[in-house]
Amino acid sequence: MTLLNTPTLDPKAAIRAARWKEFRSFSRRFLRNPLGVVGLVIVIVLIFVAAFAPWIATHDPYLPTLTARLAAPSAEWWFGADELGRDIFSRLVHGSRLTLLIVALVIVTSAPVGLIIGAVAGTRGGWIDAIFMRVTDVFLAIPKLLLALAFVAALGPGIVNAALAITLTAWPPYARLARAEALTVRNSDYVNAVRLAGASEFRIIFFHVIPMCLSSVIVRMTFDMAGIILTAAGLGFIGLGAQPPLPEWGAMISTGRKFIFDQWWVATVPGIAIFTVSLGFNLLGDALRDLLDPHLRQRN
Amino acid sequence: MITVDNLTVRFSGSTAVDGVSFEVAEGESFGLVGESGSGKSTILRTMVGLNRHWGGNIAINGMDARVTKQRDLARTVQMVFQDPYGSLHPRYTIGQQIAEPMIINKLADPVGRTAELLELIGLGAKFQFRFPHELSGGQRQRVAIARALSLSPRILLLDEPTSALDVSIQAEILNLLNRLRKELGLTFVIVSHDLAVISYMCERLMVMRNAREVETLTREQLRARDVQDAYSRELLAAS
Amino acid sequence: MTANLVEIENLKVSFRNDEGGWNEAVRGVSFSLGREKLGIVGESGSGKSLTGRSLLGVLPSYARISVDKLSFDGIDLKTASPKLRRSLRGGRMGMILQDPKYSLNPVMNVGQQIIEAIRIGDRKLSGADARRQALASLEAVHIRDPDRVMGLYPHELSGGMGQRVMIAMMVVREPDLLIADEPTSALDVTVRTQVLSIMDELVTRRGMGLIFISHDLNLVSKFCDRVIVMYAGHIVETLDAKNLHAAQHPYTQGLLARLPSIDGSLEPLPVLTREAAWLEAAP
Repeated sequence: MTLLNTPTLDPKAAIRAARWKEFRSFSRRFLRNPLGVVGLVIVIVLIFVAAFAPWIATHDPYLPTLTARLAAPSAEWWFGADELGRDIFSRLVHGSRLTLLIVALVIVTSAPVGLIIGAVAGTRGGWIDAIFMRVTDVFLAIPKLLLALAFVAALGPGIVNAALAITLTAWPPYARLARAEALTVRNSDYVNAVRLAGASEFRIIFFHVIPMCLSSVIVRMTFDMAGIILTAAGLGFIGLGAQPPLPEWGAMISTGRKFIFDQWWVATVPGIAIFTVSLGFNLLGDALRDLLDPHLRQRN
Repeated sequence: MITVDNLTVRFSGSTAVDGVSFEVAEGESFGLVGESGSGKSTILRTMVGLNRHWGGNIAINGMDARVTKQRDLARTVQMVFQDPYGSLHPRYTIGQQIAEPMIINKLADPVGRTAELLELIGLGAKFQFRFPHELSGGQRQRVAIARALSLSPRILLLDEPTSALDVSIQAEILNLLNRLRKELGLTFVIVSHDLAVISYMCERLMVMRNAREVETLTREQLRARDVQDAYSRELLAAS
Repeated sequence: MTANLVEIENLKVSFRNDEGGWNEAVRGVSFSLGREKLGIVGESGSGKSLTGRSLLGVLPSYARISVDKLSFDGIDLKTASPKLRRSLRGGRMGMILQDPKYSLNPVMNVGQQIIEAIRIGDRKLSGADARRQALASLEAVHIRDPDRVMGLYPHELSGGMGQRVMIAMMVVREPDLLIADEPTSALDVTVRTQVLSIMDELVTRRGMGLIFISHDLNLVSKFCDRVIVMYAGHIVETLDAKNLHAAQHPYTQGLLARLPSIDGSLEPLPVLTREAAWLEAAP
């Protein structure tokens, strides 16, 4: 005997349909924000370029052509060539993969760790809260670049070590954010209702508190991506990130410094790329915050 | 069914409940009436286990509330909160929220029972897949009632169940509550600042003021204006 | 010929919905108000609050408003400059909201807020004079210890006290019109009567016009001279408060039907079944 009035729909599919409807309404509101759309387009282009880099690049990014050293932008070298005659456009395109890799590595590790630590601290309170937050304070106090230098001194330069260094200083803000949300949510009636049903603290934190922290965390993530790109470029600039011959954008600016006045394209083009991608993530983050932040929620 | 004996609750300096005692028989509907701050909501929250710091004795269906685990208490007494807009989790569907207590307690067939409950409160099974923000205040309060009933408790505690609703919706919810009480043989403890609502819903009631109990009356006494205390009389006059 | 204090003709307020279209929240509302007490009754979503806010000009920027005629004491509000509307607000038109917890500034004490309201009207007023006026306004709302209350912060006030402070703030500049949006819904029953009698006293004594917005028809009928009933964005019935029992529209009749009362029957309460036909405006 079917007790459901919709015999053709099973519960899981129906819940998926309900969530899809929510997502569609969310997208429609998002698309009404022109700057947000610009940001989203930039990010999509970045991902696309990174995914199809070998097909988009016109030359081999590692192959030096000594006859074309420091060539100006032309039909053959779209963005010119660097001091070893490598095509800057192709290096840019392949470098996007490194950019995305660093961003992904850092975000995927820092955000969940910060989120969980903050949510647990905020929901439990007491000495757990005190300990977690003091640990958070310690990591917040460490300057990113100094930590990276320390890491490199200890473990050697490279992308993974750079990403690790950035991660260690990137998670505390998420913990702070999550804790702030958790402090509000833990006393709400819907959490009390589920406590009344006998829910364990684990269930409350992971299924009830954390979903409410996600909005702020997602917004923070998009802003963070812009920051991570800049930090990674900074590390590359001082030679601590990706090592040559990897086409990391920061490293490209660094080598291009020497030629900035006569062959401006060597340093400027990767600089513009970093600027554009950072801007894209910032615009996307702004638009998401307008949509997701419960304090700012408005229908527009 | 319920025995509250000399209950005292203190929060960082101020006394929220001061030596209150009352009893509720099985199947009875008991009202707690008083102004904001009189302590009535605190009594409910303590009875249901949301507040664990109190003095005195509370016995619920023979269980000592002080030593009973939340899971066991949950199968006997549940609560419906005042604000329908805050008592449902914004991110889960109605069906998920009604089924959750059953899933936590490993009861059989949560999905079927959810559909049953939705029919029981007058909404229908198709509401399973809606989100709270798609529902009106009155509908949300019905869902809150369904969720409270999902573990088949014997006692329902209701904290100002209709205060946040429009006057035109109040009647529906009150009718629903009365019907459920009759059909399921429930025991109610209802908190309200509205004497008219309490008088309609409860056979016996207790007037509270400033954390203390003022007077305990029956509905008949109220109607006959057989009221002793001056404060109770004031409340009666204002209604 | 005495000009009506307020005249509204064919007011429409709409909001964007998720599909990109417009939802009309107020659909062609027209009424006029003299120096009397008018009640606007309806459930959540009927458009009653928006109507009050349109008059004051405090709708959110993402709302679209269209009206044939909107005038206050002969001044055409449709064509009035923002500066004029701002000067009317607070000076000649006041608004009291539902919950003083949210409508009073939490970081300023009561005295500072009332004095600020006074000062907006008269920038040249001395500190001492403004304080005297503020104390007088608190006394007018029957606050027994105005000196002490002046120093309190909003979170230290009880619901009834906070609402009286709100009324004092709005009335201190002697407006001609007071719009009260669910002023007693957040208050306990005993306090409700107090606050209503204060409002009644002020409105009658100073000859103000009052628009009382509420979802409680019984309450409004005891308090107001005339009542407008709204449903789904338009007016379904207008009547004098004393003729409420002769209401024609089934929705009004339904609203009147018994709420629980102490001496009332214990039978299931009569419930309002909404007809789809009520969604259409009456001709």
